[in-house]
Amino acid sequence: MSGTTSVLHFSGHQYLRHRLVLSILSGKPVRIDKIRSDDKNPGLRDYEVSLLRLLERITNGTIIEISVTGTAILLKPGIIVGGSITHECPVSRSIGYFLEPIIMLAPFSKKPLNLTLRGITSDEQDLSVDLIRTVTLPHLQLFGLSDELELRIKKRGSPPLGGGEIQFLCPVVKQVKTLNFVEPGRIKRIRGIAHAVRVSPQFSNRMIEASRSVLNRYIPDIYLYSDVYKGEDSGKSPGYALSLLAESTTGAIHCSEAVSKPSAAPEDIALLASRALLSEIKKGGCVDEKHQTLVLLMMVLGSEDVGRCRLGTPTERTIQFLRDVRDCFGTSFKIVPADSESSNELLFSCYGTGYVNANRSLA
Amino acid sequence: FKKSKTKKKDWIKLIYGSDLTPAQIIRGDDPQTSSTNEDDEDDIFTIKRLDVDGPSGETVDRTKEVLNEEELKQWEDEELLDSIRGLFITGSSGQGDA
Repeated sequence: MSGTTSVLHFSGHQYLRHRLVLSILSGKPVRIDKIRSDDKNPGLRDYEVSLLRLLERITNGTIIEISVTGTAILLKPGIIVGGSITHECPVSRSIGYFLEPIIMLAPFSKKPLNLTLRGITSDEQDLSVDLIRTVTLPHLQLFGLSDELELRIKKRGSPPLGGGEIQFLCPVVKQVKTLNFVEPGRIKRIRGIAHAVRVSPQFSNRMIEASRSVLNRYIPDIYLYSDVYKGEDSGKSPGYALSLLAESTTGAIHCSEAVSKPSAAPEDIALLASRALLSEIKKGGCVDEKHQTLVLLMMVLGSEDVGRCRLGTPTERTIQFLRDVRDCFGTSFKIVPADSESSNELLFSCYGTGYVNANRSLA
Repeated sequence: FKKSKTKKKDWIKLIYGSDLTPAQIIRGDDPQTSSTNEDDEDDIFTIKRLDVDGPSGETVDRTKEVLNEEELKQWEDEELLDSIRGLFITGSSGQGDA
């Protein structure tokens, strides 16, 4: 505590992922304590330990110290190296849990990342691999990453046993572009992926039909794809899900998703996803709620110019993220109502830190 | 204890200049009242309030919000369904911008 102001200090198990990401990107060590210290089962969970291992592997020289009780960690970040890596994700969380922070780091590695993850491909807590492929990756394109950016879903794996496999390819950049995204535009098309594994393939058609019953009233350009995986490629457990996205004339994407649960018909799942999409569209902004933190992070890392983006109301995660970003990079955002009308949309702007991928120049 | 509903939130002040938790900010708690409440540490024993939303009884670090089936039922309402028509290219909301 004495003098070493450069160590970032946080408490609690929450927001672990983005805090680790901020530490690694900024090169500042991070100390997180009070990790479930009041819980009857205190300390890190297996998936959190697994994430730390994964971060250790995509970097070089990272030192991670975990206290005996597991309630405190210290991470001294090394450089992000990328390269070819395979990681088994525990079935306590889906692949999305691990992939989301990796996507924030991968563009700044020394070598292009070729990551294979095995585990659960869709669950109700984190972004499914479908949404990451169709929504998250296009968001990176806003910042100048597009060539060779790819996510391949090789096998699907539903909870509880998983058995899915994906491959994530990410190019490296020198610097990300400044974002200026203030026109939400109007929705011009809706796309979706319905998948069903180890259950009747008819389930995905039933989801598609039910979803259309809600969405058809708005626009004719709706294409919902029924994605079929058979045999080995369908994982170890039965399950199905519907992922939806709505794209606007200016390229703003809103998305939603619902996954199968016991005692719910495919139609119910489809209605949930479709209505959640409408709620998401109603919230407005140029960026979906689930992608606020990714976009804001890339804005902070942008070149030394003012980046602007119109968003809906920030989520709890986003609010904490903004605070942590300020602690880490010293950047705070200017947040003003986007227009004088009664809408809830806000205009976020910040001055980019001019973050340069120093790892890359070492190559 | 008065909350001015019509007044818009000052997000910059709430996020960077207050001690409110993100949940309190979203709920719209008053910065004054809640901060004084929590700084009251006269009692030896304080009751821990836990935000419970996970199956294990803890707040889970998750990206997707919980889908609230009941709340989403509001979309059965025709008026609400029609109210967002203007956000689609096919809807007529005054001007027809491309």
